[in-house]
Amino acid sequence: MTKTLEIRDLWVNVEDTPILKGVNLTLPRGEVHALMGPNGAGKSTLGKVIAGDPSYEVVRGQILLDGEDIAELEPDERARKGLFLAFQYPVEVPGVTIANFLRLALQARYGQEVPLTEFYGKLQRAIETLEWDEAYVTRYLNEGFSGGEKKRNEILQLMVLEPAYAILDETDSGLDIDALKVVAKGVNAMRGPEFGALVITHYQRLLNYIVPDVVHVMMDGRIVKTGGRELALELEERGYDWLKEEVGA
Amino acid sequence: MNEIATSLSLESLRQRSKQRGEPAWLAAARERAWRIFERLDWPTRKNEAWRYTDLDPAWFALDLEETRPAELRQRDELPRAVRERLAESDAEAALVFEDGRLVYAHLPAELSAKGVVLSDLAGALEDHGEHVEGALYQAVTETGLQGPEDKLAALNAALWGYGAFVYVPAGVTLEAPIGVFHYAARPGKLSLSRTLIVLDDNAEATFIEEYLSEELARTHVAVGELLLRPGARLRHAGVQTWGAGAHHFHRQRALLERDAVLLDLAVNLGGSLARTEVASELVGPGADSEMLGVYFAGRDQHLDHYTTQHHVSAQARSDVYYKGAAAANGRVVYQGLIQLEPTAQKTDAYQTNRNLLLSREARAESVPQLEIAANDVRCSHGSSTAPVDEEQLFYLATRGIPRVQAQQLLVAAFLEEVLGRVPLEKLRLHIARIIEGRLSAS
Ligand SMILES: Nc1ncnc2c1ncn2[C@@H]1O[C@H](COP(=O)(O)OP(=O)(O)OP(=O)(O)O)[C@@H](O)[C@H]1O
Ligand SMILES: [Mg+2]
Repeated sequence: MTKTLEIRDLWVNVEDTPILKGVNLTLPRGEVHALMGPNGAGKSTLGKVIAGDPSYEVVRGQILLDGEDIAELEPDERARKGLFLAFQYPVEVPGVTIANFLRLALQARYGQEVPLTEFYGKLQRAIETLEWDEAYVTRYLNEGFSGGEKKRNEILQLMVLEPAYAILDETDSGLDIDALKVVAKGVNAMRGPEFGALVITHYQRLLNYIVPDVVHVMMDGRIVKTGGRELALELEERGYDWLKEEVGA
Repeated sequence: MNEIATSLSLESLRQRSKQRGEPAWLAAARERAWRIFERLDWPTRKNEAWRYTDLDPAWFALDLEETRPAELRQRDELPRAVRERLAESDAEAALVFEDGRLVYAHLPAELSAKGVVLSDLAGALEDHGEHVEGALYQAVTETGLQGPEDKLAALNAALWGYGAFVYVPAGVTLEAPIGVFHYAARPGKLSLSRTLIVLDDNAEATFIEEYLSEELARTHVAVGELLLRPGARLRHAGVQTWGAGAHHFHRQRALLERDAVLLDLAVNLGGSLARTEVASELVGPGADSEMLGVYFAGRDQHLDHYTTQHHVSAQARSDVYYKGAAAANGRVVYQGLIQLEPTAQKTDAYQTNRNLLLSREARAESVPQLEIAANDVRCSHGSSTAPVDEEQLFYLATRGIPRVQAQQLLVAAFLEEVLGRVPLEKLRLHIARIIEGRLSAS
C-alpha cells in the first residue's frame, strides 16, 4: 500500500472560533499536490496544525502519517517522523547560524551524530542546486534576510533534512522569477517515490515549474474541490466566485 | 552582632595572624575590619543594594575553613574536575586550592625569570612583601562599593584565609592565561578568599578564576582586587560554577589608572545563591573598562549581580553588558550604577542588562541607575526582560529539534552577544556546556 499523509475530518479552533471545518485530504508519497484558495481560507492554518503548532486547538479529526495518528505528538516528534513545513513567514533567530542549526536538526532527525563530512556534503549539494552563496550558511538564521532569501533558506533546509512529506506555504510569494525557478528546481530535486509535497500557492505560475499531480481548493475551512492541473489554470482565469456559487458558500 | 561560629573572636583573629607570621600592618588591618564587622548588622532588603535578595546570617554561622599549609601535588593527583578544567583551559600558569589549601602551583620558568609572580597570598607576603604591602586592601577594603562600611566586605577583610597573588612587571606581556581554581569538597564550611592582581605599567595578562565543586552546602566569600597601573591591560574572568547548595559572595573592584584597559567577564552559573559585585574605578584619563556578565539560573537558584562604574577621572570609558537567563523557578537580579564625579568630564559610560525567561515561574529583576555629576558626558543605560520566543521554539521544533535543545540553542544565542566579545574560545565552550547541563536538568 502507498504510504500517505492523510487528514481526516479535521476541525480546528482558534480561541473558540472554528477555522478548519472538516478538512479531508490525502497526500500519497511520490505525488505533489497543490493547495489553493482565497485569503483567509485556512491554508496556513492547516499547514501549521499538521506541523503541530500549539496555538491551535484541534477539536476533532485525525492526522495520519503513514497510518500513524500524529495529532497528539509534539512538533519536533512529528518532524523526526518525516514531516516538514516551509513557513509562509519564517521567523528570525539571531545568534543561531544556519549551519549550526541544520546540523543539530539533522542529528535530531537521525537520532545520532552526523559526520561533518556527510553534513557538509548534503549542505553543499543543496547550496549548488539552489544556486546560492555558501556565505549564507554562516549567517544567523533568517536574520536580516530579504523575503526571497528566507524562502530560499526554507528550501535549503528541506533539501538537507530530506523529509518524507513537505508542506510548502506560499514559498513562491516574494520571489523574483529567477528565484522562483531555482526554488522549483530544489523542490523538483526532492521529487521521487518516497517524497510527497503539499504546495500552497495563489499563483498558477509556480505550478508551471512544480507541476502538481492534484490540485485542491480550500474555502472557508474546507476542501471544496479537487481536480487535476487544469483546475489551477481555471482558477487563474476565472477567480473563485464561480466556485463559491457552485459549492454554495 | 557576631553570628559567626563562636570560635571566632578578636582574640582568635590575633592568634591566627600571629601563627601565620603576618606583618603588623596586616594584623592591624584585619583587626580594624573585624571591629567593623562586629559593629554592623547584616544587610536586609531595606538596603537598596539588597532589595531583591534575602541574606540569611545562618549561611555564615559555619565552621571557618582554617588556613592550612600548602600541600603540593602533581597535576595528575588533583581532583578529576580540576584536572579537566586545567586541561581544557589554556592556562599555563596555574594555582589550585582545595578546600582553601594550596595543592598545585605552576609558573613556567621563563615567566618567573621575567619577574612575574604567581603564588598564594600567604607565600607572597613572605617572599614578595614589597609588592603586596601598599597594594592589598587598596581596591577592596571593609567598605562597600558605594563607600560606607559593609558587613560582608569587613568579614572578608578581617578573616580571609587564602588567595592568589599575581604580579606582572612593567612592560611584560603574558601570552597564555593564568588560571586559579578553587575546588571544594568539604561541606559545612565558611571559606574566605582574597585575590590580588597587580599589573605594572604597560603589563598585559589574562586571568581566569574559577570556583567549582559537586553539590555541597558551603559558603564562600571571595574578594578580587585588581590594580592596573598606567597602560596595563588585563583580561579577567571569574567563573562561578559551585554545585547546588553553595552560597557565594563575590566582591571585586578594579582600579584603572591612566590608559589602563580592563576586559572583565563575570560568569555566574552555580550555587544555590550567588551575589556578585563587580566594580571599576576609573582614576586615570584614557582608562577603559568593559564589564561583561553572563548568568543562568536553573531550578532553585538565585543569582544576584551588582555592577559599579565609578568615574573619577575625565576622559575615561566604561561599558557594562550583562545578559542572563532563568529557567524553572530560577531568579536573577541585576542592579548597576554608573557614577560620575564632577571631575569626570568627557566620560563615555554605558550600561545594558538583558534577561531571558524560559518559564512562567522564572523571575528577573533589573535596575540600572545613573548618578551623574558632570555635564559634558555620554551615558546611556537600558534593560529588558522577555520570555523566550514561542514562535522561534516552534520553528526550531518543526525541524526536529526537541524543546530543551531548542531552548539551549536560544539561550546560547542570547548570551552569544556578550560571550562573543570575549576572545577565550575554550571558556566559552565550557560555559555553553554547563548551561546545557543546567537546562536539561531544569
Ligand atoms: N493564531 C490565530 N489567531 C487568530 N486568528 C487566526 C489565527 N490563525 C489564523 N487565524 C484566522 O484563521 C483564518 C485562516 O487563516 P490562514 O492564515 O490559515 O489563511 P490562509 O488561507 O493561509 O490565507 P492567506 O492566503 O492569506 O495566507 C483567518 O481568518 C485568520 O485570521
Ligand atoms: Mg497563508
